[in-house]
Amino acid sequence: MTGGRLLAVFLCLATVGLVVIGTLWPVPAAAAWAGGTGGFISSSSTPEGAVNNFANDLGHHAWQEAYSTLANKGKFTEQDFVRDMTGSYPGLRTYASLDNFEVRPLHASDNEAQVELRLHWSTVVGTFLDTRTLQVVKNGDHWAPVWPIVKEQHVPPQVIPVTYLRWDVIYRGPEDDWGAQDVEAPHVRIIDMHPVERAAGVVVLGELLNEDVVPAYVSVKATLLGKNGSPIATEDSFDKISHLLLPKQVTPFLITFPNVSLSDVDSIHMDPTSSLVAASADPVIEIQNQKLSPAPDAWFSGSLVNQSGQNVSIAHVLGTFYDQSGQLVWVADQYIDRALLPQTPVSFAIPVPEDLARKISTERAVVATYSPGGFQ
Amino acid sequence: MVHWMLRASSALAFTKATTLFTRQPGASIFESNGLSRGISLQKLEAVAPSTRPIPLSLILMAALAVHLPLLLMELPLKSYDTNFHIFFASHYLHHWFDPWNPKWYAGFSQTTYPPLPQQWIALVSRITGLDLAYMTVQLVAILLLVVGVYRFALLWVTPRAASLAALAAVFLGSESFLVYSAGQLSTTTAAPLYLNALPYLFEWVREGKWRSFVKGAALFTAAAAAHHATLLFGSMFFAIPVLALVLIDRQDGERVSTPAFLIRTVVMTVVVAAAVAVVLLPFWIALIHYPVTQTPIPHASRANYILSPQWGLNYFVIPYGALILALPFIFVRGSAVTRLRPLLLGFWVAFLVGLGGTTPVGHLLLGRAFDVLTMERFSYWATLLALPFVGLLAAELIDRYRGRAVAVLTIAATFTCAMAVAWSTFRPADAADFKVDSVAAWLNRDGHDNYRYVTLGFGNKISRLSVLTDASSVDGEWNSGRMLPELTAHGGAALTSSKYFNKEGLDALRAILDHADRYGLKWVFVRDPYYEPLLTFGGWRRVDDLEDRTIIVWSKDGVPPAAPVNAPQIPPHWQGLMWGTLPFGSSLLAIFVVLALPERQRRRAADVEPAVMDKDLVPGRMFS
Repeated sequence: MTGGRLLAVFLCLATVGLVVIGTLWPVPAAAAWAGGTGGFISSSSTPEGAVNNFANDLGHHAWQEAYSTLANKGKFTEQDFVRDMTGSYPGLRTYASLDNFEVRPLHASDNEAQVELRLHWSTVVGTFLDTRTLQVVKNGDHWAPVWPIVKEQHVPPQVIPVTYLRWDVIYRGPEDDWGAQDVEAPHVRIIDMHPVERAAGVVVLGELLNEDVVPAYVSVKATLLGKNGSPIATEDSFDKISHLLLPKQVTPFLITFPNVSLSDVDSIHMDPTSSLVAASADPVIEIQNQKLSPAPDAWFSGSLVNQSGQNVSIAHVLGTFYDQSGQLVWVADQYIDRALLPQTPVSFAIPVPEDLARKISTERAVVATYSPGGFQ
Repeated sequence: MVHWMLRASSALAFTKATTLFTRQPGASIFESNGLSRGISLQKLEAVAPSTRPIPLSLILMAALAVHLPLLLMELPLKSYDTNFHIFFASHYLHHWFDPWNPKWYAGFSQTTYPPLPQQWIALVSRITGLDLAYMTVQLVAILLLVVGVYRFALLWVTPRAASLAALAAVFLGSESFLVYSAGQLSTTTAAPLYLNALPYLFEWVREGKWRSFVKGAALFTAAAAAHHATLLFGSMFFAIPVLALVLIDRQDGERVSTPAFLIRTVVMTVVVAAAVAVVLLPFWIALIHYPVTQTPIPHASRANYILSPQWGLNYFVIPYGALILALPFIFVRGSAVTRLRPLLLGFWVAFLVGLGGTTPVGHLLLGRAFDVLTMERFSYWATLLALPFVGLLAAELIDRYRGRAVAVLTIAATFTCAMAVAWSTFRPADAADFKVDSVAAWLNRDGHDNYRYVTLGFGNKISRLSVLTDASSVDGEWNSGRMLPELTAHGGAALTSSKYFNKEGLDALRAILDHADRYGLKWVFVRDPYYEPLLTFGGWRRVDDLEDRTIIVWSKDGVPPAAPVNAPQIPPHWQGLMWGTLPFGSSLLAIFVVLALPERQRRRAADVEPAVMDKDLVPGRMFS
């Protein structure tokens, strides 16, 4: 064989070899585009491998492929499975993408295993965790997961009379600048506020009351002032508050100042803002079975029931926690990953820091909601 | 300029490459003539069709015929990056000597990106307007590519094969992909300049011709002023093979002496490096002070094209097109012929890197740069390096199969080009086409531009919007120009497309909305309801709608007017002067030296008919 032919053979073999290496053991960037797979060959010859493949299919929203791998697919339809994953009505799950997942084997025998699958879904308002414990059964030479299906309840057709308050606002006109309302802003007042130091930095907690007789769209901004009176940082409550306050309603708020030490803070300047908006008391969300599990592993849990006849796409629960003297201790929140269908309870569980949970005596929850084209 | 370049190129062809690879009819096209010497020269003469090269003027006319209508239709406006370049150009149009652009990222420096093509657009736009100016500059780049490929190919193959390579460049899938789908003006402008510089490098190092040195240095500098990465990586893929060719090639039976080779190579390297350092000094200062340390942003060109075949189609099949069929020939012929081996190796490495994450080569060779650069430009360079082989293959196929080969090659070339051009329609940068004029008008009235804005669901229309409005945004499309910590801490690109970057993109969006007061960010234009929950729960309210309610304007109360960002990245005035003078001046200098320093000594040689010379040489003689 001539030198030229040798070179050609070498280059061709090297190219093929490099492609094989890159496919079996892809670099991180390539693996990410392939859905986080470890390579081209993924095996269902182990329980973890089978669940990995299944989770990869979920990550690609390949519902059909995921469903086809299930051992118990005869017990529910593919449509049921898709509804379980995405919800039957548009909510956070519907447009969530799988950020990552963890597979944790719990125990295994020759023909059966139990695996915990933790799915970290990414949504527009943050991530949520969906943890399922899966049985995995051996089927010939491969393993197949058994999916613990969660079927949504559906209420029977009915008429729900609603009598709720509603406030409309007549603005000046389309040719005028929208910002000039020509009305006095609703009166709001901070009824409680204090800073605490946490690992992430300084956190300012508080509660805001709408003292007025009209609805208010509120926000709270805080500026930390140093010993010399100069501002250290300014932050606002963003989504750690319920922005729409009906008359006499109270919302908690939480403002985080990352990388700031409380010892550097001399005073805090609070700046609540409010503006008049049209609003309605609908939908009414009832909170049932509200309870606080004690530390360690403290959770504030309960269930939400949509009392109106309209679906609510996304609900945001803000929990406020008080000590025995009624002093505000902590504010925590959670977005509900499923839509609230009328009269259908949906559970929530908000983790509470262990050190604070021991101080908590009472708790309260408020719920903010979003529906496409909803009242603004 | 083309005329003078060609005169030099023809002379070059006369002295070294004319009949090296004329294959004898009857032999396999994979074999070089050096491997089949037994076939008589008489047979070659009896059946060989004309071995004249295609006149370059004809090839340039073909380039005009193919690309001028497409550019007049303004097809690149649908691409990913065209509006980005137009946005940069619009800034140069109004602020030639001030590279600080306040319209993106609350202010960023345009010295973070070499300015040459955009400055030419700005200049031409005074006559034609920005869009047509872009098309004009792109057209010139395409024409220069034809000339550059011809001259570069002449280093390796016969004039006839080189002319076919140049013709293939007109239909090159990767070129059409970058022009019409990716909109990479800088890459497609720098590469032709670089290709045109390489023959001068060859002449300088081999023969020590000072005219070639001056022209080469000027063209290399201009190429760097158009796109720095082309020069950095081009030296690896293009210049090293050319220098290896200098060592391999003989002139009058003698090789260049090693000391002369080394000294001339070092002199050219030092001079070009110094010139590039000076011409792009503000760029280097920005890079040194603010290195690109931000979280890497995913790009599909880094995917494994087998595990993610949809990206293989996008970044391999479409750019290569029918050239994929030539790969076996490239490997076999490139290995068989000694003087083609450097070119083959350059092609091979660029080819492997261009495969993105399909092989580990890009990751190993580029290190962290693998997560910053996009890989399609490497495929582009690989296809340029493949063109001399393609010319050689085409010449031999035509010699052997004549009309049938011409027909098949024409179909293959047309199909390759057509697919790459049509790809911008099959896989458009933006799924929906819509106008942003109403948004710009809204921002420009009633003092709305006293505040900053961000768009959601606008895709690459944000560049177009930025051209039209006076208002400043916290978003942008030039990732390396970002300095806002909310953006650099997360691996999402433009905020307007946050959802496509999943958690990383949405975290960046959330962080910037959370700090709306800090940046005077009062307006959010939403074209994708996906983002509405975040705005609702984050304290934003709908205040207006545009374009039949397809675009909703959201606002936040209590946001102070946007204050100019007094960032340390603002270049001082002297840098602005340099930026407005030297890069553009380097291109003027390149034009001047190429026009003013003709290749007088080679004029006679250039007039000799290459086809005649082919017959005078014994096939295989040069393979000793």
